[in-house]
Amino acid sequence: MSAAATRTGASGGASVRLPPLTSAFQYLLLLLVDGFGLFLGVSIGQDGNWFFAIAIFLTLALINLVMLIPGLWPLRWVSPALALMLILSVYPLLYTVYIAFTNFSDGHRFTKVEAIDLLAERRYLPEGGKTFTWSVFQNEAGDYALWLIDEAGDSFFAVPDGDFESATMDNGEIPTSYNGYTLLEGGARFRALNEIEDMVFGSGDTAVSVRSANEAGAFAQRWVYDADADALTDMQTRTVYTADNDTGEFVAPNGDTAPIGYWVGVGFDNFGSIIDTTLSQGPLVRVFMWTITFALLGSISAFALGLGMALILNGEALWLRLVRTLLIIPYAVPGLVSVLVWKGMLNANVGVIPEMLNAVFGWSPPFSTDPNWAKFAILLVNLWFGAPYFMLIASGALQSIPSSIYEAARVDGANRWAQFWKMTLPMVLVSLGPLIIASIIFNFNNYFIMEGLFQGGPPIPGTSAPPVGHTDNLISYTYRMAFSAGGTRDYGLASALAVIIFMIVGALTLVQFRLTRTWEEVSENV
Amino acid sequence: MSETVSKLSELTHQYTRKTDTYIIGLNVLRFVVIVLMVIFGLFPIIWVISASFNPTGSMTSQTLIPENVENMSNLLTNYDRLLNDSQIPFWRWLNNSLIIAGTSSILIVMIAALSAYSFSRFRFRFRRNLLLSIFLIQVFPNMLAMVAIYLMLLQLGKYVPLFGLNTYGGLIMIYIGGGMALNIWLMKGFFDTVPRDIDESAMVDGATHAQTYWILIFPLVRPVLAVVGLLSFTGTFNEFLLARVLLTDRESWTLMVGLFSFVEGRFSDMWGVFAAGSLLAAIPIVLLYLYLQKYIVGGLTAGAVKG
Repeated sequence: MSAAATRTGASGGASVRLPPLTSAFQYLLLLLVDGFGLFLGVSIGQDGNWFFAIAIFLTLALINLVMLIPGLWPLRWVSPALALMLILSVYPLLYTVYIAFTNFSDGHRFTKVEAIDLLAERRYLPEGGKTFTWSVFQNEAGDYALWLIDEAGDSFFAVPDGDFESATMDNGEIPTSYNGYTLLEGGARFRALNEIEDMVFGSGDTAVSVRSANEAGAFAQRWVYDADADALTDMQTRTVYTADNDTGEFVAPNGDTAPIGYWVGVGFDNFGSIIDTTLSQGPLVRVFMWTITFALLGSISAFALGLGMALILNGEALWLRLVRTLLIIPYAVPGLVSVLVWKGMLNANVGVIPEMLNAVFGWSPPFSTDPNWAKFAILLVNLWFGAPYFMLIASGALQSIPSSIYEAARVDGANRWAQFWKMTLPMVLVSLGPLIIASIIFNFNNYFIMEGLFQGGPPIPGTSAPPVGHTDNLISYTYRMAFSAGGTRDYGLASALAVIIFMIVGALTLVQFRLTRTWEEVSENV
Repeated sequence: MSETVSKLSELTHQYTRKTDTYIIGLNVLRFVVIVLMVIFGLFPIIWVISASFNPTGSMTSQTLIPENVENMSNLLTNYDRLLNDSQIPFWRWLNNSLIIAGTSSILIVMIAALSAYSFSRFRFRFRRNLLLSIFLIQVFPNMLAMVAIYLMLLQLGKYVPLFGLNTYGGLIMIYIGGGMALNIWLMKGFFDTVPRDIDESAMVDGATHAQTYWILIFPLVRPVLAVVGLLSFTGTFNEFLLARVLLTDRESWTLMVGLFSFVEGRFSDMWGVFAAGSLLAAIPIVLLYLYLQKYIVGGLTAGAVKG
């Protein structure tokens, strides 16, 4: 296409050929991406999902800039990853923040445009509407179809939720077979009536349903939207439902609401209600305390045991390496599998651990009913997961400590105790410190172990919808709020909690930045 | 705890000046502790293996050595049910998992490697800001934005059925997006260790960046890409939460979602089948991890974390 531009690269003055968009093929590819993106963005925008549409357009604009401006060529290599991250990580993150400020929940699950569209699809059989006489057909697969004759004598052939097309009679008679369907007559016709009574033939404006043994009626649109009045009319009852854009409902004069609401911004209401619940009820404080406790205690205990294991098993003997390998297995087993296995083993009625303890001591701790025992069990299981991981890393760290410094310490008269505290631990912490913080962040968001072992239970009395348990952490509580079966799902409130978790995790990450060299590493490489 | 640790650390470096009985005592203690750790670590695993061979398949009747075994085929009752029961589409789930994890990990590696190469080799405006933003994005767990992701796929699926809910495409896309940041960082570190002279001499000879990348650099970093790819593979293979929300249709489930369904409701009835399925799923993953141990340690201490 264009001549290759030449520019002095950063790599020490060597002449570097810049790759512009060199072929018609690349332009064609860009054009295809643009066309697809525009189609997607416009379609989604028309549904009222403006944020998603804007995210798509921005990403598209960025791709075009990077591809078309020669000076941005290094970014071309990054653009696929960047586009994916923008759409799949950054956009959901920002959108979560947005949802946190809405009343998005069961009953308010659509945009206003979508809600009106959905209601417009609902039909009813008006009194005195268009009527037909009907005959029923069936094909070999057992599907039904209707032959309809309207008052003017015109014939139509309609299949369920599908086509409704004009048809012509066969010498003034309804044909006995049509398009692979066969006419049902006599008793067969009446037996079919039972099944087709609830079916809708044709679709949209042409929808027809069987009303009686002789008559079929045309449906009419039930909910009609008037944009000027910003109101819906229920044609069946002739009631006008006015849109209330503060609550996201269509409200009738008598206070009834239309069956589908839409979501609207509610400002800081969700955050307010989180603060209210926290202040009045208190469970959220407990959830928060347990989240922090578990994150710290779980990570540190796993590190301590892992380091202990590494110290005991330190050495090059074959049997030591074998034991180390065996002990890594718990870390490698898929997390879900191990949580469920532990759940089974701790089960109060049939689990092996209570059973064995009962056999030996005649008593077993009430793991799933007593809050403290439940927490203890969770920490224990966490040790099982976490310690092998730290053992793996600590073994590596221990081997990298030169033995000469221990000899020097011994000469200086330092005992084992001092050697561990003054030398081994600090040196191991240098390389493992960031990983401990990362583990704390991970355990802060450890959903698996909380939900997996006891479903957050035992429940805290007096909490409902969703119930909060003694071993719930923030993320399991949030997840239950948004996705629990049964009860109202309040996505807005769940997102508000997610935003709070985002902020805490973000703060922890900044701490990690300070403690590790990550920041400096980046700077020195620039 | 710390006292024990210190005691134990002492054990690892024995002193000749201690008395013989003291040393023997310490060695016995050390051995006992190791045995206890092995029991703690391996008991659950042995228990699952035993459960998978238990012919009655329920948790109540489970013993460490399966009872009521009349003949050898009896031992495989659970496996037989898992693999041959028409109500349990095990192969279908395994197939789903393999396709999803395989495609995701290959695409993650290909796309992230391009970015890593650019970040490692080129110097451009906003490079530092971009790198730091990517680092920040990586720490926010994808599952917190689950509601937004669910809605996104719902809206996308209306116009591009390939990427909707209940599709391979949708879940693969989410996994790729979620795995991008971490892997770019991991790979950039490895790319930095490849000497620059290689690229520079190629450039002097008139090679384009693309040629340099594909012909020279790519073969050099291939072992590393393989390790990152395998880690992404096991990560997506084991992923459960997003899969459970985004795949609602039983036929489209991944293996992990399927395994969970065995013990979701009444726990003890399907225990044996669950154990058999878990073992079949876990064995290849465990072998992979054991094989990759030393690379994992290298990668982790280089500044990355297994999530």
